[in-house]
Amino acid sequence: MPTYFDEELKKLKGDVLAMATLVEESISKALEALKKRDPKIAQEIRVIDKKIDHMEIAIEERCIELIARHQPVGSDLRFLIGVIKMNNDLERMGDHAVNIADCVNFLVQQPRIKPVSNIWTMAKIVNEMLKESVESFMNNDAVKAQKICERDSIVDEMRNEIIRIMLTYMIEEPDKIGSAIQYFLVAKNLERIADLSTNICEDTIYISQARIIKHHIEEERKEK
Amino acid sequence: MIIRTANLNLFYNKFQALKNINLEIKENLITAIIGPSGCGKSTLLRVFNRMNDFIPNVRITGSVIIDGEDIYSPLCDLIYLRKKVGMVFQRPNAFPLSIFDNVAYGPRVWGITNRKVLEEIVERSLRAVGMFDEVKDILKKSALTLSLERQQRLCIARLLAVEPEILLMDEPCSALDPIATARIEDLLVDLKKNYTIIIVTHNMQQAARIADEVGFMLLGELIEFDKAKKIFTNPSDEKTFNYISGRFG
Repeated sequence: MPTYFDEELKKLKGDVLAMATLVEESISKALEALKKRDPKIAQEIRVIDKKIDHMEIAIEERCIELIARHQPVGSDLRFLIGVIKMNNDLERMGDHAVNIADCVNFLVQQPRIKPVSNIWTMAKIVNEMLKESVESFMNNDAVKAQKICERDSIVDEMRNEIIRIMLTYMIEEPDKIGSAIQYFLVAKNLERIADLSTNICEDTIYISQARIIKHHIEEERKEK
Repeated sequence: MIIRTANLNLFYNKFQALKNINLEIKENLITAIIGPSGCGKSTLLRVFNRMNDFIPNVRITGSVIIDGEDIYSPLCDLIYLRKKVGMVFQRPNAFPLSIFDNVAYGPRVWGITNRKVLEEIVERSLRAVGMFDEVKDILKKSALTLSLERQQRLCIARLLAVEPEILLMDEPCSALDPIATARIEDLLVDLKKNYTIIIVTHNMQQAARIADEVGFMLLGELIEFDKAKKIFTNPSDEKTFNYISGRFG
């Protein structure tokens, strides 16, 4: 029979999912605003971000209260520590969506440059990584989480590619440096969202298997 | 390794209280034995200084080796064993004697009569439990006038006076308030530099705070024995998790 504490943990998981859904919505809207060069959509993202910020605080306070009152151990403790870290990562993702929206506000005032197709491919992968990382957390699926982490290097490579393309633009058409820098920043923000999705996966693996995999620590420890 | 049990079984008449216990307790660590009431943890503790011998119809099989000696061998010197392996109980059991005489009791039993030597032992033992300065002017007062926490400290000092190696503690803080409990816990952490401590506790947080290694017992079996960090963050057995997280027991 589930205890009161079990119910609280379940509810908390639901709250994290609700927050993650808002973050996904925020990032999707930011990319839509970028695609349509629509500052109105960009404005909506600020409203969503405010909600995300409030949710972050509520989840953090709940975790602190549950730790203080229930003094959890084992997988309960790992879950709450994981949620505290994940909560912070999700809030940061929301901030990156706002950063992308800021880029849109700047871009609409600049001359158009040839669309950078890579950025949409990158955005698609980043969106999938976020969605799947949240799914892996919800399903406690460490195997899936591990696979998502492996995609981070693909995103890093795409960001480097976009930077190269943007540098070429800047050299060839100096009047479009302003726009090129904005795309450069969008790529940078997308890459950070992918990093944060990877963090969620690392937390999922920690919660599920009590393994810390970040910074290749397992390999380092084996070598010692 | 200071204590090693192999295939240890203990029966009270036909009831088997300990089932095939195999464990190794390391020197200068605090080892906590946890588990629900009736799981055999106090019985196991009493095995280590043969306190169960006082209970009628107890039968033990297997071996318990302390410092290389099988303590259930007919050659084992029981008096010496209980000097080496001392015990503290749930409620402080100070004798109705003065504070000085409580601490000097053991050394006197061991034949020390020289007043100067006894004074040195009493001072050293009371200092080891952080109590000498508090009671140095009232050593002739009855131990029973002390607070429960001080009485428990005194009982620990009384043990230390006979220079044991291993301290067995059966719920030593269960009669104390949280502040007194914290002080006793600090004392135990300090004492482990010189002694091996085995503590039975119902207080999960206490085990998490002070133990280096933890054994979880259930229905007479040792379900899991591991480092405290492992037990409290990632126990291997679901039964251990269910117990330490308060889901049963």
